[in-house]
Amino acid sequence: MADTLHNLYIGFSVALAPQVLLYAFVGCVVGTLVGVLPGIGPLAGISLLLPASFGLDATSAIVLLAGIYYGAMYGGSTTSILMRIPGEAASVMTCIDGYEMTRRGRAGPALAIAAIGSYIAGTVSVVGLMLLAPPLASFALRFGPPEYFALLLLGLLVLAYMSGGSMLKSLAMAALGLLLGMIGIDPMTGFFRFSYGLVELGDGIGVVPVAVGLFGLSEILLTAGQPTAPEVKKPKLKDLLPSRQEWRDSLWPIGRGTVLGFLIGIIPGSAHIISSFVSYAVERRLAKDPERFGHGAIEGVAGPESANNSATSGAFVPMLALGIPSGPIPAVMIAAMMVHGISPGPLLITQQPELFWGFIASMYVGNVVLLILNLPLVGIFVNVLRVPYPLLYPAILLFCVLGVYAVNGSAVDIGIMAAMGALGYLLRKFDFETAPVVLGLILAPMIEMSLRQSLAMSSGNYAIFVNRPIASVMLLIGLALLLLSLMPFLMKSIDWRHRLGINTANEGEKL
Amino acid sequence: MRLNRRNNVFLVSLILLLAAVKVSGQEKYPDRPITIVAPFPPGGVADLTARPVAAALEKVLKNPVVVVNKTGAAGAVGMSFVANSKPDGYNLLMALSSISIIPEADKLFDRKPAYTMDQLIPIALISADPTIFVVNASRPWKSVKEFVDDAKKRPGEISYSSSGVYGTLHMAMEMLIQGAGIQLKHVPYSGGGPALTALLGGHVDTLASGPAVVIPHIKAGKLRPLASWGAKRVASLPDVATFKELGYDIEFYIWAGLFAPRGTSPAVMKTIREAVKQAVNSVEFKTAMEKIETPIAYLDAPEFQKFWDKDAKMLADAIKRIGKIEIPEAK
Repeated sequence: MADTLHNLYIGFSVALAPQVLLYAFVGCVVGTLVGVLPGIGPLAGISLLLPASFGLDATSAIVLLAGIYYGAMYGGSTTSILMRIPGEAASVMTCIDGYEMTRRGRAGPALAIAAIGSYIAGTVSVVGLMLLAPPLASFALRFGPPEYFALLLLGLLVLAYMSGGSMLKSLAMAALGLLLGMIGIDPMTGFFRFSYGLVELGDGIGVVPVAVGLFGLSEILLTAGQPTAPEVKKPKLKDLLPSRQEWRDSLWPIGRGTVLGFLIGIIPGSAHIISSFVSYAVERRLAKDPERFGHGAIEGVAGPESANNSATSGAFVPMLALGIPSGPIPAVMIAAMMVHGISPGPLLITQQPELFWGFIASMYVGNVVLLILNLPLVGIFVNVLRVPYPLLYPAILLFCVLGVYAVNGSAVDIGIMAAMGALGYLLRKFDFETAPVVLGLILAPMIEMSLRQSLAMSSGNYAIFVNRPIASVMLLIGLALLLLSLMPFLMKSIDWRHRLGINTANEGEKL
Repeated sequence: MRLNRRNNVFLVSLILLLAAVKVSGQEKYPDRPITIVAPFPPGGVADLTARPVAAALEKVLKNPVVVVNKTGAAGAVGMSFVANSKPDGYNLLMALSSISIIPEADKLFDRKPAYTMDQLIPIALISADPTIFVVNASRPWKSVKEFVDDAKKRPGEISYSSSGVYGTLHMAMEMLIQGAGIQLKHVPYSGGGPALTALLGGHVDTLASGPAVVIPHIKAGKLRPLASWGAKRVASLPDVATFKELGYDIEFYIWAGLFAPRGTSPAVMKTIREAVKQAVNSVEFKTAMEKIETPIAYLDAPEFQKFWDKDAKMLADAIKRIGKIEIPEAK
């Protein structure tokens, strides 16, 4: 313990140095902007600033880039809550309940809880990173394709809990998402599937254009299609703070979201996007009155927002402890480190204590900075809603197009976004949930890849899933969840018989 | 002169005409920012090599040089973008050896190629990483001979990861497989990073990788290098023999080179080539490449063309040998 405190002391002395502090601040601001702008996500922001970071010293560079990453998770909730337009893929779930809260005039509390939940999650997960990085990283390494497959299958099963309304409709949407996820180059054989000659579809349909189109564009179209203009809400000051009830309701979701997000984030791969989906489903499942979800339940904002923030710290665990790129963003940061002559690897923590502890300390500082940045901004952002819709929505549309184009510089993405926008409009008119489509789209290529990799590893033997302990445990949990979700149907049929039995008994008595 | 509508129109037309004349007149190349397209996501070899080149070129040409990532389809998107763009010298490509692989793979699948190698002309070779053959440290093989003997005893059981089917790392291993006459199990991943992670986690046994990312793990004792695919030993791994020394006639480099679309005027090409020659020899460039442990292997256009042709033929042969990957039946 004394060791850790001493190291933290070194870390803070590095992190609070004016230059490092400045770059942490810049990173956080850029990250918030990047998160607020729909479409463009932290990866694009980091890639843009990567060359600028080459001229800095190593610690400042890493602190800058990391600030963009977790800053984006703070900012992403803003447009999700205010306008139902996801700032990036991880903020999709916040759109659902966050926007409903806005419609009820509770935009301020939603934004505040999102910021505070993000702060708590960010800070607590950095503690986890600090104390548990090496052992967690070794655990994470044991996740091979079979474990990954089991985890993703769990993620898919979690869908059953994700939405209210008709289960059939949600499953249909999930199936649509899975089908869309099949587009692209077959990872094992190299065939182009369903690309219709467009080279850009080789990597499949991007999540960002689909999320922005399905949620954002459809919302714009729906609002435009309303017969009367919705009245502009004028929030009052006291409406900006969450009520005591909302505070109480959010505490457990924030806690659960933090732990869940951190654990999912440690696992190498792009699984951290699904942390917000899983958190939403868990909150829904554990709530005493799940019908509130989808209509402005604060838990549906607190949980996912905390999860996606702690997932970013989780993503740093394998990167710092073992030097493995656990996703595209850690890969860029590893590249930034290499350019500065620091070779990431298992010895990084011991060989470069100033870098590691400076980084940890700057994450504490960064989270505080972001909280201070975002809370007062709640008042400003909420006032954005006062802008009349005819001016506001075209501006948002412009930002959506710019943001989506900025990700890949590809006009095909804009086309996808437009098509998804039209599709989303139709789906919502017919009362279908759109979130399962995004989840299916994310999961399909990963599930397929890990399944086929597992089978390649075992030369076609399906027993590999049962022989490996972590994978089999997760598959069992998945099976249990599946049975649990089928319980209502089973109960209903038992109930019906019971009721009939009682009626028969009553009638018998009457007779 | 009064500012009425007719005069307005006249003035505007005059200005536009003058502007048009200026644009179509002879200008010195370069007078706009030059874009180097890196067809891979940021943080990869193409990107890491392109950025120091861009920075050094900027100093030499005294003109902005920007790196843009156009990712997708294992590089095909960025490569076909430059191959099909206007040959005015403002869109250049920083490509890896996979540039020769993609059109061959397209031929294999009978589909219209995203681009053909004739659409691009080489400017210069920048770097050539010899690929290193590493195994997970917990595995028993201490030399290539032990490994090959074991592989012959149990064909198709020892596994290797790669950055993707028909990718550079896959090609390198295929050459070993062919040269040593062994059978290995291939588990493809999407990218060099995941492939390395899988090896570190022990989910596969071996990997062919560029040196920069594996050297820290070798030093930490998690990976063991058995041989390298270069003609000479890798500078930072002097004890690791080359396959050629061990008797296998195989050579493979993950090289990075600059290309321009065919049709770029000889004058512009000359300017770029001269600039690249100067940039590669600059101190900042050399230090930058040292930091990312990538040896500079500069070849000017004519030599690079010969190198590229030879390399492309080798890769084409390897692809034809691999053929279309059949999906094995599940037992």
